[in-house]
Amino acid sequence: MKRAIFTLLILAWASVATAHSALKSTTPANGAVISQTPNEISLNFGKDIRLTRLMATHADEKKIKLDLSKHNGFIKHYLIPFDGMGVGDYLIEWRGLGGDGHTLNGAFSFTVE
Amino acid sequence: MTLPDIWGVATIATKFALYLGILISSGTVFTSLVFSLKIYRRLPGSFAFLGLCAALLSFSLLSANLAGDATGLLDVELLQLLWSTQAGTTLVFQIMGMGILTVGLFMGPLGRWVSALGGLIAIWSFSNIGHIAGDDSLLLKITLATHLTAIAFWLGVLIPLKKLSTSEKTWATAADLGHRFGLVAVILVPLVLAAGMFMSFVLVGSIDALLRTGYGQALIFKTTLVSLLLALAAANKFRFIPALRKGNPNAAQNLITSITAEWAVIFAILAITAVLTSSLNLPM
Repeated sequence: MKRAIFTLLILAWASVATAHSALKSTTPANGAVISQTPNEISLNFGKDIRLTRLMATHADEKKIKLDLSKHNGFIKHYLIPFDGMGVGDYLIEWRGLGGDGHTLNGAFSFTVE
Repeated sequence: MTLPDIWGVATIATKFALYLGILISSGTVFTSLVFSLKIYRRLPGSFAFLGLCAALLSFSLLSANLAGDATGLLDVELLQLLWSTQAGTTLVFQIMGMGILTVGLFMGPLGRWVSALGGLIAIWSFSNIGHIAGDDSLLLKITLATHLTAIAFWLGVLIPLKKLSTSEKTWATAADLGHRFGLVAVILVPLVLAAGMFMSFVLVGSIDALLRTGYGQALIFKTTLVSLLLALAAANKFRFIPALRKGNPNAAQNLITSITAEWAVIFAILAITAVLTSSLNLPM
């Protein structure tokens, strides 16, 4: 009985588990290929969130922490200054606290050619 | 779809321990009060301690989740941010609740009421955080607290019932307790189900969201487990307890097996609830 329930639980976990992600849209958009490195990036959430970490990884190598110091409240739209690191793939990873006390996290990527 | 990272998994595991700690310690106290059962400090005391530790760790893990690494566990800035939100309020309720419950265990007969109050405070804490707290409805918060209090009561009776069923000398007491709980369950079970269905309806919103979102699918899975639990509970109420009252020697063993199976299902339900409340989004 216990083993059967455990197996069912694992199957359910694998099929439905998903990290909280209330991110509605970004600029650049997820998966976008652009010709110029953006000066800023935007994240638009469906609900108010307080971002606590925003990391940019360039070409799977250089990782930098983006400045969130100007955003201290719970808001939906974030516009963050961005110092590009040249052409290549960028991965933006974010973490934050939702208004209901839940932690949220997610990521999006874009390419500069 | 992404599986939770290490901090997400740790959060789910801690929340599972938190549910066990608060619900079993509170439930043990509730049932001892209602059924005038002898209460042993060790059982509710141990689970209250588990609940307290899990509450503190859970709070700290929220901070690690916000940082994305172990530095967050003790990051003063992030901990202060959490403290100023509903997460801080929830922690205060949980510490107060488990603390009062423990103090009550050392206060004699009146202490049961004090412990029960502590249990209710700790249970109320869940209305301050999570998907329910995102909705400002007081009715929804009261519904959740009622739902959890009824579940705690259910869990609280299983331990003494199983223990009493293990010895022939206490079979009559076990049968009596089972019978009395069966009478309460006539109100308790519909209450748990009605409250659960109401909250699901409000949180999920539509059949489409129920079928197509991760949250809805997890809820379906949880409901399936609850159905299994109800089948076991029905077997206890309508077969094993009446048989035990008639002195059937096989009934006690059947009851013990059934309660063991109930615990396995309950653990699974609490685990899926921890996933639901930790890492799955409500349908938008």
